[in-house]
Amino acid sequence: MTTLPPLPMARPKLTALARQKLPCSSRDIPRSQLIKEKDDIDHYLEVNFKGLSKEEVAAYRNSYKKNICVDMLRDGYHKSFTELFSLMEKWDALREAARVRSLLWVQRPLEEQPDKLDHFYYYLTRAEAAERKEYFEDVYNNLYALACYFNNSEDKWVRNHFYERCLKIAQLIKIDGGKKEAEAHAHMGLLFEEEGQLLEAAEHYEAFHQLTQGRIWQDETGHFLNLLACESLLRTYRLLSDKMLENKEYKQAIRILIKASEIAKEGNDKKMEGEACYYLGLAHLAAGEHETALTVLNTYIKISTDLDDDLSLGRGYEATAKVLQSQGQMTEAIKYLKKVVKIARNNFQSLDFVRASTMLGDIYNEKGYYNKASEYFQQAFDMTAEMVNTLLTDETKVHYGIAKAHQMMLTVSNYIETADLTSLDCLLSWKERRSDIAPDPIIGESRRSTMEGLCQTSEHSEDLNGFPDNQKK
Amino acid sequence: MNVIYPLAVPKGRRLCCEVCEAPAERVCRACTVTYYCGVIHQRADWGSIHEKICQLLIPLRTSMPFYNSEEERQHGLQQLQQRQKHLIEFCYTVAQKYLFEGKHEDAVPAALHSLRFRMNVHGLSSVELVPAYLLLAEASLGLGRIVQAEEYLSQAKWTVLKSTECSYATHSLLHRNLGLLYMAKENYEEARYHLANDIYFASCAFGTEHIRTSGGYFHLANIFFGLKKLDLADTLYTKVSEIWNNYLNDHYQVLSQARIQQIDLLGKRFETDTGLDEAQEAEAIQILTSILNIRESTSDKAPQKTVFVLKILVMLYHQMMNSSKAQEYATRAFNLAKEQQLSVQEQNAVQDLLNLISAEEAHPVT
Repeated sequence: MTTLPPLPMARPKLTALARQKLPCSSRDIPRSQLIKEKDDIDHYLEVNFKGLSKEEVAAYRNSYKKNICVDMLRDGYHKSFTELFSLMEKWDALREAARVRSLLWVQRPLEEQPDKLDHFYYYLTRAEAAERKEYFEDVYNNLYALACYFNNSEDKWVRNHFYERCLKIAQLIKIDGGKKEAEAHAHMGLLFEEEGQLLEAAEHYEAFHQLTQGRIWQDETGHFLNLLACESLLRTYRLLSDKMLENKEYKQAIRILIKASEIAKEGNDKKMEGEACYYLGLAHLAAGEHETALTVLNTYIKISTDLDDDLSLGRGYEATAKVLQSQGQMTEAIKYLKKVVKIARNNFQSLDFVRASTMLGDIYNEKGYYNKASEYFQQAFDMTAEMVNTLLTDETKVHYGIAKAHQMMLTVSNYIETADLTSLDCLLSWKERRSDIAPDPIIGESRRSTMEGLCQTSEHSEDLNGFPDNQKK
Repeated sequence: MNVIYPLAVPKGRRLCCEVCEAPAERVCRACTVTYYCGVIHQRADWGSIHEKICQLLIPLRTSMPFYNSEEERQHGLQQLQQRQKHLIEFCYTVAQKYLFEGKHEDAVPAALHSLRFRMNVHGLSSVELVPAYLLLAEASLGLGRIVQAEEYLSQAKWTVLKSTECSYATHSLLHRNLGLLYMAKENYEEARYHLANDIYFASCAFGTEHIRTSGGYFHLANIFFGLKKLDLADTLYTKVSEIWNNYLNDHYQVLSQARIQQIDLLGKRFETDTGLDEAQEAEAIQILTSILNIRESTSDKAPQKTVFVLKILVMLYHQMMNSSKAQEYATRAFNLAKEQQLSVQEQNAVQDLLNLISAEEAHPVT
């Protein structure tokens, strides 16, 4: 509201007078201008008395909203009056409901917001005049202006009401080939999306998309409406499928995402197409259909390479690795993950790097290559040390510790089994000082590195409960 | 004998005429408590309202009978109050009905009765008197006595101003009459202002789509019609027609529902009614007939609207049990639809209505 300049409206007499009476206005108008003559009596009064005219009295006595309503009706705009009246009733009803729930009703009563009432008057009367002449475009423009004016957080329901009206009017406009109707559908879709009713939002966005197919309309900012339609539709579908995946309705989710990818293909935007493929792949993975997931993700990777988009490439590789992992093809998975790690390092994507390294370490861990595992975990841990996310740091710490422990497992158990003096000595000294255990000549050189590793582990994993005790046993 | 001699009445007792408050020379034989100054006034009063309330006046104007106990006295007092209230309402409705039918002369005595009873019950400066003043003002306007109407209206305005809790309905009525006054004085600016106020208050009181608000819209439309702003007038007339149409339709639905249920229980059919009192019915007839006349004068351009109004009238008369008029309007609608070659839907709808009316007439309601 405050960003828009005040309307240069030709205000009707009554409201003009009333405006001056309001405490928030500060204009001075000479007295003689305020007193207007209508009747002989008024004229007489004006000439002989310096009192109030009838209209001044009315302006003082009535509330501002009554003045607006009366002005509307006086000029015959009864439809605007009906609409304003019903909106005011709803306003009051909301206030009552909020009061009953004893919440803080932040919104000021209409009385104290004469700007809003003025805007109502201005645009609604113009819309009605246009409607009478059947210039539906004008009607639409005025209603849309009103909707924009009310586009702030507390008046959302007013804006939604006007969006609905815009849609109804837009459906009557045939001259421009449905552009206004398309825009109206877009607004309605936005409305529903904000409220979380994704199905209705999807409906409206679909209508929007259908209407804009093949047309090269642009909106005010210069974006193609068709592109916007595709984007919004994809977004809604993705949200819907997310919800469905949560509820484990895999088939429906996959169906919707397939629709989304088809729309993206029609939209001729590679990036969107890629995104759609990516999510489809994820959905297939969640549903357990690995083969299809692989094919879809391959398309995504191809598109990303075409677009030279490293980040999405990294995402694609990661997802593929996950699929392969669940399929059990570890070597392939490892290959992909290495690629991811490289990309992430090149692009300074620490989170991705950490995640990828952790996954790599996991795989190596399971397969038994503890050295490699701890190597990767160390990398991950070092990266998280630079980040602020303590949760992540702790997690990586634990992973690292576990890998290190596995590394040492063989050595320490060997020491315990031999159970001769030197081994015990080594173990004890390690326990005391938590520093290097002297390598047993029998076991060999390899242990030196592992002992170093032991020390480091003990430094790093102090919160590993019961670890030394377990080993002791 | 109807004549009385003023000199023969007990000392100090002044008998005044019902209508004009001059010294009374005649008495009504039927009730013996109503006095008139001459035959003319007696005939006028009888034709207007006295015929209907003759016997009801007796208990109010004679002294209370002797009661034995306090309870009975209280009960008697209460009964008296009830009777007075009933009379107030009744006179008011009758006067309104006359006004809407255009019989302004007859409305005056009835309105005066209502006023006097209100004064008796509520006191001289109560808000309750305002509707009666407004009736009198309207009657005077109808008779062309503008100055007298202004007097009554100023009285009404003053009472409203002085009272603290005046209902929206009363405000609405006051403004409507002020609007009519200014229309008669041809001061259309003021009239529009007052009618706008009327519609605002009526909407606050009843809602924007209520039949009581429709009167305000109708008068505003008349002003625009007089000012030759035909498109404005047209939209307003359409609105009025729609309000009445919705009301009658809903009412009809309710009735048919009730009838379906009741027909099993009692095996006889309910009489249809409009849910309105006589005055409102008269108002409806007046409004709708004038709209119909206006529409017929422009019938070539928009025959659907004329047919629409005709259909509403048919329903109204049907629900008022006036089947001859209903039939008449239905046939008119049908002919018009045929002549102007309206869409098939419209023609079928009108046909259905016509059949319904004829069927009703053939099997009269018990």
